[in-house]
Amino acid sequence: MNKTALSIITLGLIIGIGIIFLSGSKSSSETALTQPGQNVEIRDGVQYITIDAKGGYFPRVSSAQADIPTKLIVKTNGTYDCSSALVIRSIGYQKVLSQTGEEIIDIGTSQTGSSVQGTCSMGMYNFVVNFI
Amino acid sequence: MKTFTFHVSGTHCASCKILIEDVLNEQDFIQNARVDLKKEIVEIETISDLSSEKLADVLTDKIKSNGYILSVEKTVKEKQRDDVIWKALPIGLGLLVLFFLLQKSGILNIGIGGQTTPITSFVIGLIASVSSCLAIVGGLVLSLSAKISQDNVSDTKTFTLFHTGRVVSFAVLGGVLGAVGGAIGINFTLTAILGILASVVMLLLGLNLVGVLKKNKIALPSGIFNFFRSVEHKTFTPLILGFATFFLPCGFTQSMQVSALSSGSFISGSLIMFAFALGTLPMLLLLSFGSASFAHGKHAPLFFKTAGVVVIGLGLFALLAGLAGLGIINPLFNI
Repeated sequence: MNKTALSIITLGLIIGIGIIFLSGSKSSSETALTQPGQNVEIRDGVQYITIDAKGGYFPRVSSAQADIPTKLIVKTNGTYDCSSALVIRSIGYQKVLSQTGEEIIDIGTSQTGSSVQGTCSMGMYNFVVNFI
Repeated sequence: MKTFTFHVSGTHCASCKILIEDVLNEQDFIQNARVDLKKEIVEIETISDLSSEKLADVLTDKIKSNGYILSVEKTVKEKQRDDVIWKALPIGLGLLVLFFLLQKSGILNIGIGGQTTPITSFVIGLIASVSSCLAIVGGLVLSLSAKISQDNVSDTKTFTLFHTGRVVSFAVLGGVLGAVGGAIGINFTLTAILGILASVVMLLLGLNLVGVLKKNKIALPSGIFNFFRSVEHKTFTPLILGFATFFLPCGFTQSMQVSALSSGSFISGSLIMFAFALGTLPMLLLLSFGSASFAHGKHAPLFFKTAGVVVIGLGLFALLAGLAGLGIINPLFNI
């Protein structure tokens, strides 16, 4: 094969990698579009944000109310991948979650405009909760 | 008697000098052959009446099987290297696309419920060995294997030691976790820093395999070189490296470590981690012994450059993810 063809293929592959990386995961964007705010619930003055951890965190972006005590509920269901090893730097939280179960994490009261971000230990999965 | 100077390509290691000089000095029409690795030239003193082009061809025939080519003009060598990289780039990128598509597809997120038994942890090991953990553990294994095969002909012993060290230390450390119980936790920040170190090593080796470092005459720091030399020649270092992979960041490894922790006894913890390491073994064996067979084959230059492209890609991925995991940069992707 000549160089031009090979460089066109190379360019195509680089674009392909770019698309894979920059496009959100399919299921997460669907969740975000079809049910905005559905994973947020206020009970007895405490705001609970539910996040599913398996092959990533879903939904990836959540919006929640500021200025009320907030807890995250991270649900695992046969989760063995990196998303079970959760790190939330801003509150100094790190734990390998049990493979199936729910973990309730107190993230305190957040101010308007702030956000809480969680990643898995290797860093390739993440989620963010924006407080508005 | 005449003196000729030829450009030589394919010299990637210190022992290449000795090898080329040995082969050339065996030819009865050559009085003296001297290799300068820095300038990538070979100087010979000969009694032969052949023209310099003819002589380069004759001598190249003798050392071609080892991957060296002599030429009168330097440009010839540059052109060949470029051709190889133009093939290696699409192949390497294609492999990376396949790998990331596999991660994205969600096929690997199979749920395995219930109690962790040695059988489930073996299956999880199989999954882990093609998961994003491959980016860091596999990338490291591939880059080291390719580098070792490139420099050393007797690589089988090194690989065997590395994999033995890995499986044995998983079993032992798993047992320790089971026996000690919840008292020790493996620190995430520590594993993340180890992961970043591993990805930097991968990037350096990848650049070296592709030939960028060598081309621009930027040598690796001598400490790193000594480290690789000791990897190649000592018994102990591959064992230690295998041991160290226990602490590399990999979600699957970490969740198995927790299973071992909560298993309650040395035997059960050890069995879980041993089975997990066995599960990851086929893929890793394929990577290192596959490298070895390619490295000694006809397509060695193409293989090294392709491996370099793949390793650079995985290294970048692991580095960016690791930095995001440490909170140093914002996550750039979610794969």
